[in-house]
Amino acid sequence: MKARVLNREDVLSVVDLLRRQGYEVLAPFRDRDRDTGFEAVTDENRARLELHLPNPFYPPKRFVFPQVERLMTIKTNASVQIEPNYMERKRAIFGIRSCDVAAIGHLDRFYLGRDYRDAYYEKRRQNLFLVNLVCTDAEQDIGKDCFCLCTDTGPAARAGFDLQLMDLGDDFMAVAGSPEGEALLANQMFRSATPAHVEWRRNILANARSRFQNNTSWFSATVRYVSQSEVLEKTWEEIGNRCVECGGCTYVCPTCTCFTVADRCLGSQEFERVRMWDSCALSGFTRMAGGFNPRRAVHDRRNRRFFRKLAYYFILREKSVACVGCGRCAAVCHGDIGMPAVVEMIRRANHGVTQP
Amino acid sequence: MSMGPAENVYLPKIAVLDRVVAEIPEVKTFYWRFQDPAEQQPFRRFRPGQFAQVSLFGVGEFPASLPPSPDEDETFFTIREVGSCTAALHRLRPGDRFGVRGPYGNGFPMQQYHGRNLVFVAGGIGLIPLRSCIVYALQHREQYKSIQIFYGAKTPQELMYTEALKEWANARGVECHLTVDRAADGWKGPVGVVPSLFKRPGVEVKVANSTAFVCGPPVMFRFVIQDLLAMGYRECDIVSTLERYMKCGVGKCGHCCIGIAYVCSDGPVFTYEQIKDLGEVL
Repeated sequence: MKARVLNREDVLSVVDLLRRQGYEVLAPFRDRDRDTGFEAVTDENRARLELHLPNPFYPPKRFVFPQVERLMTIKTNASVQIEPNYMERKRAIFGIRSCDVAAIGHLDRFYLGRDYRDAYYEKRRQNLFLVNLVCTDAEQDIGKDCFCLCTDTGPAARAGFDLQLMDLGDDFMAVAGSPEGEALLANQMFRSATPAHVEWRRNILANARSRFQNNTSWFSATVRYVSQSEVLEKTWEEIGNRCVECGGCTYVCPTCTCFTVADRCLGSQEFERVRMWDSCALSGFTRMAGGFNPRRAVHDRRNRRFFRKLAYYFILREKSVACVGCGRCAAVCHGDIGMPAVVEMIRRANHGVTQP
Repeated sequence: MSMGPAENVYLPKIAVLDRVVAEIPEVKTFYWRFQDPAEQQPFRRFRPGQFAQVSLFGVGEFPASLPPSPDEDETFFTIREVGSCTAALHRLRPGDRFGVRGPYGNGFPMQQYHGRNLVFVAGGIGLIPLRSCIVYALQHREQYKSIQIFYGAKTPQELMYTEALKEWANARGVECHLTVDRAADGWKGPVGVVPSLFKRPGVEVKVANSTAFVCGPPVMFRFVIQDLLAMGYRECDIVSTLERYMKCGVGKCGHCCIGIAYVCSDGPVFTYEQIKDLGEVL
């Protein structure tokens, strides 16, 4: 698909265009200090929209897989009636980062793949339009924990978006990733890109790549050790000792998929069945009725998380490592055992043993 | 991504409780049918060893193995009261409604065992999931060679499905050996743990061309496996079914994932060869 460019001052017109087409547009906004978060764009807050700001900790995953989601309402009067609750609204995420685009691709393969499709995820996903913004600003976009170079998911997504925008200075480059995105490019504010624009893009990306502080989280060795159960028990114990069991890593992770389900009372003889994000860091995650828990030790739970994310078997199954290098777990972890640190710990510990 | 309308696997179908039969202390069998008779037929295509998600409205869902053979007339669950959901099920009366979705899981590949001896080893309520296979094997008797059942419980009062056990013991080409850990009034049979049955005079556990189904508490499982391997069983000829905390039953919620397997969708039936590699099972 052909690259286009648009003037810098027209970039927010993309938001307006999507809103006019009936989309609820969600974009990252700056809150206090470093804090940023996705909010719906309204006439009031549109002027506060920023193109470069740190990626929110609370991942955009929640627009396809909300932290709490009502699955159905159940009425148990004379007869039982069960009504599913679907989210049918058209929504667009403006300014989703490349790592999070890759994460949604991973979630697609997980929730819509294998034997069963998740109808709730599918409805939300079908109505979602993704405007990816390439991370080019070393001060704002690229955080100290970002390591998408190591997972090969950034700073510019190659696929998975409907529209990709990249800051070239005076202009923005726009590339469509879907027929819906291509349709948007028909608007007159877009014009064809010249070879100079393409050259400029390449230079900016090369510069952006050089600004990552973490570019040595080498997965390949760790994936091998994890897949072949060669990780030393003492490495897991060390990782477990540093885990405070807060579950933060799983809540900020854009590729974590686990959930629990609970029935809540809405009134007499009326209930809602909701699902909520759950975390393998928490001891109750595997505890069965009666109290038996096959996975008790904290290091076994950490082992589980990293095995599930890195084992070759699951990479084959989901066609990607379940890590997109967003660095959120590294930023929130109190014990400094986010993904990049663990990858490094495993590699180093095993290196000394298996390659004397 | 294909955009066709998706069937919603999380929606339970409404079931009606027909009658309840007390089995042993804390364990009852719940006979039920779907409110909509059209649901009955597709559900009845389940395989022995599969399970269903049982929904108690306002309480939650839990996975339950399917003890009937698909060829039996009635559908039922045999459930021990342990947590809030099972307690809510135990409170239901005939005519009450609850939810069922499924069947889920791989089940035992009963066709693969055609022409073989079947050896069932169960402890306590471990007989519940194996009941389906035993009844299925008896209904397709000509497909299998000899059938041996080794079953034990803590006390004679805790032996499950006693009527069925009598029936099985009298069936052609079936050996049924029972034991209890502690004898009580009137018990004239063997006393001891399940593996002690293997060494009793006159008992010869089939090994050649045999498949062993093992289901019971972890400690029994460990000792039975040890004995079977010592007799010459290959790891791939020992099968079992695993239990885990589950929410969805369809490989999405993540709770039952151990090693490389989701117990709900890759299992719950695994060979010992697979179980050994999953880790954290025993």
